[in-house]
Amino acid sequence: MLSFLALIAMFTTLSRVQAEGSDPWNEADQIRTALFASQKALLTGDNETAAAHVRAAEAIYRQSLRQPIAATQPDVTTSLDKTFAAALKAAQSGDQVTLSTSRGQIWAGLLHGSTGVVLVALEQADGATARTWLLLRDFRTPTRFSRPGADATLAINALIEGKRSAAEALAAVRADLLDTYQAQLTETLTDLDIAQKRNFPVRQAEVAGLAAGYFDILSDAYKAQRGPEALLSTRSSFAGLIQAITTKNTSTYEIARKQIDAALKGFRAAPLSEAEQARRAGQLLRFVGLVPVEYARGIRDGKVVNDIEIQEALTFQSGASAAFADLMSSLEKRDTEATNRIATLLSQLETQVRTTADPAVVENTANEITGALNKVLPAEWQTLNSGSDFDVISSVLDQIEPAVKQGQYALAESARLEAYAILDSGIEQKLRGFAPEMALRVESLFWQGDDQVTGLAILLTTNAPASQVKASLTALRTALSEAEVLLGNSKSAPAAVVGNAAVIVFREGLEAVLILASLLASLRTVDNRQFRRPILIGGALAFAASAVTWWVANGLLMSLIRYGEKLEAVVSLIAIAILLLITNWFFHKTYWTGWMANFHAKKSKILGGSLVVGPSLGLILLGFTSIYREGFETVLFLQSLVLDAGIVVVLEGVAVGLVGVAIVGAITFALQVRLPYKKMLIATGILIGIVLLTMVGNTVHVMQAVGWMPITPIKGLYIPYWMGQWFGLFATWQGIVLQLVAAVFVIGSYVLAEWMNHRKRAKTLPSKEHQSPGTEPVQVSGVTH
Amino acid sequence: MGDMSVGRTARIVIILLVATMMLTTGLSVRAQEAKPDLSGIKTYLLEKTEALNKGAQSLKKNTDAYYELAKAAKFDYAALWNSKKADVIKVLEATKADWMTISPTYEQAEGIVAGVPSLQKYDVILDAGVKDEVEYDITLPDGKVLAKPGNLFGLLETTLWGTDKAFIADVKADFDGNGKQDFGEVLPDANALKGFGDSTASYAEELDKSAKAWEPTASDAFTALVVMVPTMSEYFESWKESRFILGDKAERGDFAVISRLSDIQDILSGLQVVYKGVSPMVASVDTARDTQISKGLDDLRKYVADLYKQEKDGKKFTPEEAELFGSEAQAKATAITGQISQVAAQLKIKLAE
Repeated sequence: MLSFLALIAMFTTLSRVQAEGSDPWNEADQIRTALFASQKALLTGDNETAAAHVRAAEAIYRQSLRQPIAATQPDVTTSLDKTFAAALKAAQSGDQVTLSTSRGQIWAGLLHGSTGVVLVALEQADGATARTWLLLRDFRTPTRFSRPGADATLAINALIEGKRSAAEALAAVRADLLDTYQAQLTETLTDLDIAQKRNFPVRQAEVAGLAAGYFDILSDAYKAQRGPEALLSTRSSFAGLIQAITTKNTSTYEIARKQIDAALKGFRAAPLSEAEQARRAGQLLRFVGLVPVEYARGIRDGKVVNDIEIQEALTFQSGASAAFADLMSSLEKRDTEATNRIATLLSQLETQVRTTADPAVVENTANEITGALNKVLPAEWQTLNSGSDFDVISSVLDQIEPAVKQGQYALAESARLEAYAILDSGIEQKLRGFAPEMALRVESLFWQGDDQVTGLAILLTTNAPASQVKASLTALRTALSEAEVLLGNSKSAPAAVVGNAAVIVFREGLEAVLILASLLASLRTVDNRQFRRPILIGGALAFAASAVTWWVANGLLMSLIRYGEKLEAVVSLIAIAILLLITNWFFHKTYWTGWMANFHAKKSKILGGSLVVGPSLGLILLGFTSIYREGFETVLFLQSLVLDAGIVVVLEGVAVGLVGVAIVGAITFALQVRLPYKKMLIATGILIGIVLLTMVGNTVHVMQAVGWMPITPIKGLYIPYWMGQWFGLFATWQGIVLQLVAAVFVIGSYVLAEWMNHRKRAKTLPSKEHQSPGTEPVQVSGVTH
Repeated sequence: MGDMSVGRTARIVIILLVATMMLTTGLSVRAQEAKPDLSGIKTYLLEKTEALNKGAQSLKKNTDAYYELAKAAKFDYAALWNSKKADVIKVLEATKADWMTISPTYEQAEGIVAGVPSLQKYDVILDAGVKDEVEYDITLPDGKVLAKPGNLFGLLETTLWGTDKAFIADVKADFDGNGKQDFGEVLPDANALKGFGDSTASYAEELDKSAKAWEPTASDAFTALVVMVPTMSEYFESWKESRFILGDKAERGDFAVISRLSDIQDILSGLQVVYKGVSPMVASVDTARDTQISKGLDDLRKYVADLYKQEKDGKKFTPEEAELFGSEAQAKATAITGQISQVAAQLKIKLAE
């Protein structure tokens, strides 16, 4: 009877797999379920069914997953093979503990295999394989307040869509997966201790298997950072841990656990990005500074007078230690001695707080740490970092609610002031410049409040109930979180970018249409009509070449995308420089009249046979160069917008601009109708001027965001946030002054050009009828320019 | 001939322009977020909140009736038990039956109520709030105010079945006449019971109104999923601590009448409805992920349903078994939440804090 049930169990599992198709995640899921079914069967003493489930799980593994994993990581499959064998033996003998350990190890082994396949696929720029296998992964445990990130998923999608290089996707995926599995390792070790405390050996065994498996996933990173001997030793500690659980040896278990903790101390598998390191450095400096402040408030004459303050001092010390642990390996490379000294001092600081040392001693230690940090931390990590300031403000605000619940309003008030001081010393200035209404909102919530929410200062001085304080804190936290988003987001409103892209495309397209029309109109005679076609072919080729240029330029930008806003600032500066030149040329006529005259001169040379190339090829080249120049300019301008708002938004603007160009083109070429081209050129010129001013404002904003330019808010000037998003207008002296300079340059250039033209006209008026053919006014469907 | 070819070439140039325009417009339209049809989620929610409101009004009628009986006996519960035994048993059994109806009905809606920011407060008041941490008070008929009393379902359960002695009359009651006082055979304090009944009816009505006013958005749906799916560990934790696992050794008085496994199953069915609403959106960006999430939710619900069936069939789980099963459920829930977070990011959907 038992054999029959076992057969059914195996058959059911296998047929489910076949029915559900072959996806690595699905097969791994079936293996996990089958092994759990095996554990359940053992709980009822049904060894035979338990063994059947293990066999079924192994069959799925061998049928679908083993080969692709072995191709990239043979050592992982060797280990999995052994573990399946151990699981089968355990199931047959009714050994619940070993079966559970094996189950944990098998699951982690499959994750290890999947990680390997994904990373190798990315090394070969194979996004499709990476995407399929990435579905087989673990995630950080979510809470009500935090969710797992999606860096790896988004990076692979970006690779597939051609928005990111394989190397960048690989780096992002590796960081995400290593970070996840390190978090899982930490969590399983905590679960292990809980299971030990509750005396649940089966659960303990499974968690130990998982922990050992997670460590294996991180082993390459561990080996790279700590060396092969350390890796060997830590693996041996994990083996010892599993052995201790199997043999129920508590003392050996404790030793192995401590060894593992020591081995993992300061280890970070996924290196932090430069921005994250700067953020941690900011937290570290702030937290260290706060420890003596809190401590001094909680101690009098060597006795604790306020326990909450001491707890807060310890919280900040622990926050500082955590931030330091994240930076330790980077700092060690800069100065090992100083880094070790800081580690010792941080530990001393904790001891001093716990042993009620003299506040002056605590302050000295904190000062010494700060001094050492100032020397060892790179200068760019020590500059104002909004991200870390928001983190620290949040930590300080955490003190308010518990203090109020205990009726300690003075304590809550000091925390409020502390949080406000951090805000005032950095973030507020940025906010006043970039999002003044948000600065006002945050400040009012710290103090008097507004129509809807009473401010924290009022609530704390009137000993308001905890529920009101909580509501006010929630509003403040929401405002702070919105402020963080606003400061982190130096992007323009999408509709504004659509408009700007459309203006640029329409303007450049209009020029292209006019050049084509002008060249074609001058070939109206029957003899010359044959030459129109090559020019148009050249134009069409230029259009295609512009598309290729877009593709190349975009690829180049995407390969540099890791530089983020710094890249945006550089590209914007180049775009502004060219826009300034063009507006200047435009007003001085060299841009338009001279350019057109140049084309006509070239055309005459080609037709006159004075150029080396034949007339057809020459005219194709003429059509091509005259249009490609506009296409090239357009592509260049649009790249800075792509960095600002993304490719899709810019393409929407391109589409709108092309509609305009298509209409003008259709009217000009197909219907042969005259249009007020000169007025159109002037109108679009003015619009380009507005685009230029917006671009200047946004570029200054980006440069301020990356710290390349100081921020000096204009007191008393209120500019709503939307005007920043639409027109690049922000209430900082730097932004407004540079926009004014750009405006003066453009208008000044126009005035100068008008003055020069006026003078020129006055001089040349008597000899007008003797103009040379190369500079004759351009005729476009009867319109003279 | 020459003019014709020039005209044709000009047309080709225009066609090229228009084709590019159409292509880019098409791309941008494709990139626009598809408007999901979330009406199914609202229909489901209203079905539950209306049923909850109806059941809560019925419960209020019964707690009122019990209060009138106690009042007539001048709140002398021994006298009440002796003089009106049949009436007391009838009204209390009816009240318990109402509770047994509305509690699971609410659980079926909890996945949405607790996950949607604009409705969350009702979850705290009705089902999830802890004593001293809720933001409401109850004024009893005798004028006494119970400040921050905890959640109403818990208060009703512990009062009706007597797992919290604070609101129980000191009377030995034997409802079924078997000669002993079995679990749940208690006379609640009528003042407290009426206060809880009134508040439950009032908040159930408010929830129903708020649910009717609620217009579901994709952000609401995804937020509900990522907030509620990972809370499985909390539910399994309360299952492990309940009478169903610990028997008389259980220290907590709630979750003693309906197994937490039943609640988990109900919550998951609600969440499946929510996911069904956004599934087409997910499939539009990642078909494999959509299959994975749908299957994951279905597997998790079936997994819990299987445990519940075993429990109903008489299986007594040990604390270690409960831990094992709970951990497995949590692992499944963590995986599903991770997957949902991935598609939310792909779809650029903002999740509420």
